[in-house]
Amino acid sequence: MPISITRRHLLAGSAAALAMPAFARAQGAVKPRLTAISQWSAGSDGAAITALGKKFEEKGGIWQHSPVPGFTTEMMNKLRAQIIAGDPPACSQLKGPEIAAWSKIAPTVDLDAVVAAAGYEKVVAPDLAKLHKPGGKWIALPLQIYSTNMLFLSKRAMDKAKADKIPVTWADFNDLAEKMKSGGVTYPIANGGTRPDDGQKFEASLAGISPAAYRAAIMNLDKKALEGPEIKAAFAQVRKIADWMDPNVGAQHFSTNLKRFVDGDMGMMIMGGWAQGVLRNAGFKFDDFIIAPGPSDNGKPVFLLNADAFIFWQRKEPDLQAGQTLMAQLVMDPAIQTMYSQITGSIPVRTDVDLSGDGWSEGQRRTAAALKDAIASNQAVLSVAHNMAQENGMTAAMIDVITEYVKNKTIKPEQAVTRLAEAVEGAR
Amino acid sequence: MRDRTFAPSRILIYLIVSLIAAAWLAPLAVVVLNSLRTNQEIAQGSMIGWPQHLAWSNYAAAWSGFCVAETCAGIRPYMLNSALVTIPATIFSTLLGAVAGYAVSLWRFRGDQWIYGIVTLGIFLPQQMRLLPWTIVLRDTGLMNTLTGLVIIHTIQGLSFTVLFCRNYYVAIPQELIRAARIDGAGFFRIFWRIILPLSPPILVVTVIWQFTHIWNEFLYGVTFTTGQQQPVTAALIALSAAVADIPQHGVQSAAVMIAALPTLLIYLIGGKYFVRGLTAGAVK
Repeated sequence: MPISITRRHLLAGSAAALAMPAFARAQGAVKPRLTAISQWSAGSDGAAITALGKKFEEKGGIWQHSPVPGFTTEMMNKLRAQIIAGDPPACSQLKGPEIAAWSKIAPTVDLDAVVAAAGYEKVVAPDLAKLHKPGGKWIALPLQIYSTNMLFLSKRAMDKAKADKIPVTWADFNDLAEKMKSGGVTYPIANGGTRPDDGQKFEASLAGISPAAYRAAIMNLDKKALEGPEIKAAFAQVRKIADWMDPNVGAQHFSTNLKRFVDGDMGMMIMGGWAQGVLRNAGFKFDDFIIAPGPSDNGKPVFLLNADAFIFWQRKEPDLQAGQTLMAQLVMDPAIQTMYSQITGSIPVRTDVDLSGDGWSEGQRRTAAALKDAIASNQAVLSVAHNMAQENGMTAAMIDVITEYVKNKTIKPEQAVTRLAEAVEGAR
Repeated sequence: MRDRTFAPSRILIYLIVSLIAAAWLAPLAVVVLNSLRTNQEIAQGSMIGWPQHLAWSNYAAAWSGFCVAETCAGIRPYMLNSALVTIPATIFSTLLGAVAGYAVSLWRFRGDQWIYGIVTLGIFLPQQMRLLPWTIVLRDTGLMNTLTGLVIIHTIQGLSFTVLFCRNYYVAIPQELIRAARIDGAGFFRIFWRIILPLSPPILVVTVIWQFTHIWNEFLYGVTFTTGQQQPVTAALIALSAAVADIPQHGVQSAAVMIAALPTLLIYLIGGKYFVRGLTAGAVK
């Protein structure tokens, strides 16, 4: 075929040649912009995301964060409205199995290349990684981790019990509670009365008795495991805990009773790592309490994971796409994870971050060490009380049973087992 | 009225009423007291207690200091947003409700009862159910993330109540009045301005109080359909209280709640005595 060059070809060719560098320049010169929605509007959460935004701007980006005040429901309403309006944010906060559920509603960004470039997958807990790549591809990135089963011990209550050993197993824990009780501690277990608070007592009990049973029953909803002996043992342990709690606490935030805990009127608290920051902000000192991983009957730490994350929604605008890449790089950056966790009191998602330096608390170091050990022994599992193990509907069904069991002491452990299995069946 | 004898039954009544009032006012008292205590004072003591020294700084922080994410301007800009939504939406929904209520009660036409029924049906629709339809409307009109969008939503949704109120009030007005005016040559709007509106103050006060309070206190639409600087005061209040992993800022929260409640409180104080009068007007013929 003879090659004939017409004038039109020449014109088109030269136009393209002229346009090429301009196009490339436009691509390079596009200023990364990020529209983000989250529910982090106040307190240390608000401060941390503000600091992240500053870093984004330092890297030359335009940071457009819209906080949605309230709780998850409000944020999801907003997200749904924006998706339907055809204007999803470039990224939004979302966590747990909701990432998989929402990824079916609108197209998400494939982050595999950025994640691979950062070598991120090797340093994330496997169960956590799975949540963020529901279809086999990374579409969301975890940002920070809390453990929901940390054990806080009141120094004054320990003195009253004449005890100095940190309990490791549930038997140790129960012994210490008895000693506290006879030593004059009115309520050996400090409690709030919210649903997650009750839920944490159950998940800590079950995971401490058998992480394998926890994974099978709560995370995989295996019918046999749900009716197994470990669940009954966990409910029995929860009943013991409930008997040591103040029954006159209604649906209160756990922080309401922090003074009673520090004073030694309440002895031990099973709470997320965030309670350290709350204690500090309330004006209490680290000398007032000890923090350790929650009880584990096989002696190796059990870690109930609660991780906040960002999901990335597909956008056509080049500046938003550039913003998404920049944001993903920042979220995975060890320095950024360090900064973020130091503000909120959580620990970094990356297990290779060194926590020995200044700016980290003893509690955070212990939490990070517990996570490493738990991953090594396959005992890092996902928290159900904080919406990590199941989608919201299933979580609600389970917590209904648990919270009623905590408050209504006429329900027997074996009845609770049946109820839990039935609730799961009904919510499936 | 000048009965000064204290019969035992009367003392008992006063006692019961005082007890009920005390129970009713106790939460308010806790909020007022906590608005004057520092966070540490509350955390290191109890939620209920006298302020050790008056922490007026809570009010300053609530008004113009605390941060909602990147913006540290306190409650002030959000109060303005709420006013910009609430005032027009209250006026429009009240006026439209009066005209519509007048039309369906005094101008009988084919299907008037149907129209009235359908409009008031809106009362029974849960807010959540209306969220998606409104999303689509705002998307198509390009009013997403604007205060104008909120004004339109609240005006239209308010009609369910305002039409109900006004219609029930206007049915008590004798038809003869309208007929006489029509014989004199007055049309629909002339009768409305000259006869109906002058008779309306009691019910208009009711609808204004009702609408103002509802729109001012509304949260779901405010938080879903606006972002950042555009949000109403309820969103800012929730932002203050929703820090899960942090110690609740009880002192600043209480002060912010007190400030945010002031406009509705004022509306009640000014219009309160008309409120019950207007609500019961037409109830007994």
